[in-house]
Amino acid sequence: MQISRFLQGTSRSRHGWLPYLATTLAIGVLTILLLRVGLSFQLANIALLFLLPVLFSAARWGFGPSIYAAAVGVVAFDYFFVPPIFSFSVSDLRYLISFAVFLSVAILTATLALRLRMQVNESRQREADTAALYDLSRQMTARGDLTGILEAIVTHVYGTLRLPAWIALPADGDRMSISARAGQPPHDDGVDETICRWVYVHGDTAGRGTGRCEHTDQIYVPLKTEDVVRGVLVLDVRGQTGALLAERLRLIEAFAGLSAVSIARIQLEKEAHMARLSAESERLRTALLDSISHELRTPLAGIIGSVTGMIENEAMLTAEDRRDLLYTIRDSAMRMNRLVTNLLGMVRLESGMLSLHKRACDVSDMLGVALRQVQDSLQHRTVEVNLQGDLPPLRVDDVLIEQVLVNILSNAVKYSTDNSRIEIGAAERDGTAILTVADEGIGIPEGDEERIFDKFYRAEGAKKIPGTGLGLAICRGIVEAHGGGIAAERRASRGVRIVIRLPVD
Amino acid sequence: MGARILVVDDELQIRKLLKVTLQAHGFSLLESATGSDGVVCVGMERPDLVVLDLGLPDMDGTEVLRQIREWSQVPVIVLSVRDNEAQTVAVLDSGADDYITKPFGMGELVARIRVALRHAAHAPGEPVITVGDVTIDLARRLVEKDGQTIHLTPIEYDLLKAMAVNAGRVMTHHQLVRQVWGDQNYDAAAHYLRVYIGHLRKKVENDPTRPTLIITEPGIGYRLLDFS
Repeated sequence: MQISRFLQGTSRSRHGWLPYLATTLAIGVLTILLLRVGLSFQLANIALLFLLPVLFSAARWGFGPSIYAAAVGVVAFDYFFVPPIFSFSVSDLRYLISFAVFLSVAILTATLALRLRMQVNESRQREADTAALYDLSRQMTARGDLTGILEAIVTHVYGTLRLPAWIALPADGDRMSISARAGQPPHDDGVDETICRWVYVHGDTAGRGTGRCEHTDQIYVPLKTEDVVRGVLVLDVRGQTGALLAERLRLIEAFAGLSAVSIARIQLEKEAHMARLSAESERLRTALLDSISHELRTPLAGIIGSVTGMIENEAMLTAEDRRDLLYTIRDSAMRMNRLVTNLLGMVRLESGMLSLHKRACDVSDMLGVALRQVQDSLQHRTVEVNLQGDLPPLRVDDVLIEQVLVNILSNAVKYSTDNSRIEIGAAERDGTAILTVADEGIGIPEGDEERIFDKFYRAEGAKKIPGTGLGLAICRGIVEAHGGGIAAERRASRGVRIVIRLPVD
Repeated sequence: MGARILVVDDELQIRKLLKVTLQAHGFSLLESATGSDGVVCVGMERPDLVVLDLGLPDMDGTEVLRQIREWSQVPVIVLSVRDNEAQTVAVLDSGADDYITKPFGMGELVARIRVALRHAAHAPGEPVITVGDVTIDLARRLVEKDGQTIHLTPIEYDLLKAMAVNAGRVMTHHQLVRQVWGDQNYDAAAHYLRVYIGHLRKKVENDPTRPTLIITEPGIGYRLLDFS
């Protein structure tokens, strides 16, 4: 560092008169000192001492001052110290050899110093570039979204190079659109879309200082990973000299490479996410088809079978047979109706078409409606209702919340045996209404408390009982649309408790 | 010869079903497959009651009802579908007598038809109405349950009376609010309605959490069940 700081001086005062003055002064001082004390020295030693200013100025100031030092040094040495003292004589011409030595030392030292200085500058520049790149890469890893990353790139490029920057990404069709920008060029003619497009398609740099499309004041760098061009980095280089530009181009390209990798990372992440989603929806479609084809065909089989039986064997059927078949038809049709209702509910939830018609509703009222709807199936269950006396009204869509309650009560019946108990409770705590339905049915396996609310998911023990796996998913959709939550708890004894939380406002 | 019922529905299967079952109940049937045909038919045939599907291909059910109501007070029962409560309320408020949601049970439809026909016959305001174990004596403003007098506040009584004179028919929130609270701000009154229904249930129902007399029709209104 000492050396580099010492050498740094050279570049700063390369063209000033100060080095010459300093050299003259140094030689003057040296001469006076030597005149005072050094007359006893041998001539060779004095000559060597006069090399010092030459070395110094060569290392510090380069060619000019060092050659000057050599000349002045030789003249001073000859004039003050070579006998006859204080005069030049013809015989002194032999000291031209000394001058040649001084000169060689000056040139050699200056050359070495210059090379060293260039190396120092270069490594300093490289260090700055690396730091800038490292900085950019760190900023980009911190951002997870494409917009954030693009912003980070242009801001950083502008901050580092002081050049207004844009990033253009391919848009719909054959167009390129500016996705991020930083810095305001003095004359904003915008980005030339044709060049942009060309760079995007060919993956080559274009614009000022690149040998292509030299007429523009901008430089277009492809953001390229392997063979894929992700976008184009555009820089406004108005007012930059060719040499400086060439120097910067390396860094610009490094920025472009780094940016390309980051953009690629985000884009690939997005693609992977899409692939995952489509695989998921594929799985759901399959589940839906399996579930629906089974759930629709089973009751249809019951209906068609019973009806054809009644038509074809009319005379053979007793009144009791006939009634049995009619009940089969009715039950099958009702089952299909439930399925269709749930499917429609699901479609509405999924498509975002569910609109809530909220109004103040009493929990007891909604519960009453739900209980009435399932009253036939509740005949063989003991239902215990436990409502807090002063329950505040809820602002909800009563039709939908009743559907939730009906689904849950139907489940409580479906998965429990005759003569078991169903306990219904409602209470308010800290601005939240808590509705619970607890049954003594088959319950749910441990770890399934969340998953039973997933679409088409059916717990292991539940699979032998017909169902689509839609009911609870719809319940969750509806309750969450109200800003509430729904959860399942395993009961200590047996069965399950479904807990619905709805905000009171 | 029973009452003449006009069925306006574009679905042949539904018309056939209604024809067979309603004829079995002693009604005679007229059919229209479109709304415009139905309006004409009401004019020409003068049916005693119209069963109107809300999902007609040519006209909005609300429009069919409006055209019928321009000159006829024939009772109209609309066939609606679930998740279409807003339209159902609109047709009820603009003069339909009752509604039934598809798919429906035949017994339920016949009950609605009977209630609508009875109200249309303008049965002279019976002074005593009995629903289940509750008796409402309109002349004496007296309500009894199992022979025991129930004390109702004036508003509770008005509300019960509004439902009782329309026993068996659905009453929308708007209709009840208008009858009991008059021209008061609807939103505020709708809130009172909910509260007073709760109070009434506590007084007349055996189990207010599982009402059997005052039934909530989700998204539509209330219905006092008619046991006759």
